[in-house]
Amino acid sequence: MTRIVAVAAGLLTAATGCVLATPARADSTVRASQPLVVLLHDHIARTRPTLRAPRIEAVGSLRPLTRVRTVLPVLGRAARGSWVKVRLPGRPNGHTGWIRTWQTRPAQTEWQIRVKLSTRQVVVFRDGRVARRFRAVVGTPWTPTPRGRFFVEEAIALSSGDHGGPFALATSARSEVLQEFDGGPGQIGLHGTNHLAGALGTAASHGCVRVSTAAITWLAGRIGSGVPLTIAS
Amino acid sequence: MSRPIHLSRVGRAAIALALALSIIFFAASSAAQAAPVKLATASPFVVLGGSTVTNTGPSTLNGDLGVAPGTALVGFGLPATVNGATHANDGVAKQAQLDLTTAYNVAAGQPVAPANDLTGTNLGNRTLTAGAYRYTSSAQLTGPLTLDAQGDPDAQFVFEIASALTTASASAVVLINGASPCNVYWQVGSSATLGTTTAFQGNLMALTSISLNNGASVTGRVLARNGQVSLINNVLNNAGCRTGGTSGDGGSGDGTGGTGNQGRTTRNGTAIMRRGPRSDCTDGFSATVRGHLIKRVVFRMDGRRIGNRKKSPFRVFVRAAPGRHLIRAHVTFKDATRAKTLRFHYRACAAAVLEPRRGPSRLTG
Repeated sequence: MTRIVAVAAGLLTAATGCVLATPARADSTVRASQPLVVLLHDHIARTRPTLRAPRIEAVGSLRPLTRVRTVLPVLGRAARGSWVKVRLPGRPNGHTGWIRTWQTRPAQTEWQIRVKLSTRQVVVFRDGRVARRFRAVVGTPWTPTPRGRFFVEEAIALSSGDHGGPFALATSARSEVLQEFDGGPGQIGLHGTNHLAGALGTAASHGCVRVSTAAITWLAGRIGSGVPLTIAS
Repeated sequence: MSRPIHLSRVGRAAIALALALSIIFFAASSAAQAAPVKLATASPFVVLGGSTVTNTGPSTLNGDLGVAPGTALVGFGLPATVNGATHANDGVAKQAQLDLTTAYNVAAGQPVAPANDLTGTNLGNRTLTAGAYRYTSSAQLTGPLTLDAQGDPDAQFVFEIASALTTASASAVVLINGASPCNVYWQVGSSATLGTTTAFQGNLMALTSISLNNGASVTGRVLARNGQVSLINNVLNNAGCRTGGTSGDGGSGDGTGGTGNQGRTTRNGTAIMRRGPRSDCTDGFSATVRGHLIKRVVFRMDGRRIGNRKKSPFRVFVRAAPGRHLIRAHVTFKDATRAKTLRFHYRACAAAVLEPRRGPSRLTG
């Protein structure tokens, strides 16, 4: 009986590409929670926490693909005035700016994602502890997955005929090579493997991170907008 | 040789009347001169048990906790809070038990006027003035019992109950016109049980055990001589009595602890926050602050104000929002109790959080 259960578990693991985490383990470099800010109105990001500071860009209150609220990770708060330093989506990768807290709502997330390119693994943390590990497909040497600190912009339920379904997590990262791809801005995503070639554990994508259908389904049920994403070697 | 005294029928009647009057007068004066009850070293305790003290849930004890001659204090880690010292069968607890026995016996020996024998009646929906009251069997409290000090902060109330004391759910002891919970003594010959959400006041001294049901609160003390004290999600506070009652322990007492006459110098306010159950992930839930002398509660979620309550129930509905959230309640009190901030974290379960919307596939792939 034990052997049957073990074999079944092994088959399930192989089928999903999911490597269950060892009992929850803390990672001292991962924070238990990440403060977020939800934009209730379009905002202007500036280089410093003052209205006189140069403007970086406009940040819409809704994300372009699914029209959900924009949620940004908060990196700091101004000592004076109602300003927060946030990570911004898009190019240049990992850029930051200051926005006013007017017309925003504070939030938090206990989730964080790390992509390890060398081991081709996606590690999901909850409350600073490893919750899941998934095998992944990462970018080829010619279309590499960009390294740095990013966040999930929005989660998308894709159609059955879409490549990379059934779900995708659109991130704030952009390809360093492809300025445009399939009508989009070269946006890097975590998504499934529907209609895509490439075995888990290889470097075969255009820069996105692909995981198994079971893995992306698990992620899509838990990872929301604003969740920090770190992509490292 | 002395001459025998011959009294007329009228004379004999006059002497009999005088004797009867003197007996009545003596009894009345004895009642008026009731001995003060002294808790002495037991006065810092808010809970003192004989065999064990057990707790379930986030009870709050403002005062010392002890047990003797038993040693077991069970369930007082988080989420319970003990704002006082803990004594498990040490010298302090043993001495407190000795002083409790003395106080118990003094209370049991208080003279009671015949009119104050309440045997067979319910304590609920009554208003009593200072004095000693007796039950020759068990006592029941259903509803509110009002104790009126008539402006005398030293007024002492003693209840001598031969067997059990039981309160129904949502019963209350209400103190008015300067009555102090420090000067109310409940001497219970067997065990006492406080029903759910009972708001009890006074020093509850039981020969055997004391049980507080879910949500019951006590302003005063819970002191069991031989048996156990069991708590379930209770708030107990003796902060206003730590120096002892005005009549008993040599301290000055505050004398203004009644709910009908709270002074700005007392610090009897208490508050705890609880969250209601959720029937489903997508439902929200209510957060409720309960306690004594609460003036105002401001609720915030992640720093954003979601409710401002100035009268009971101090409750707010928290919607199930994605992610992990911090709920805080800033509580201010009617008396001089320092304002406090209560908090808890919650996070919506996954099903409440995420059902990604449909969208186009324009990612790099």
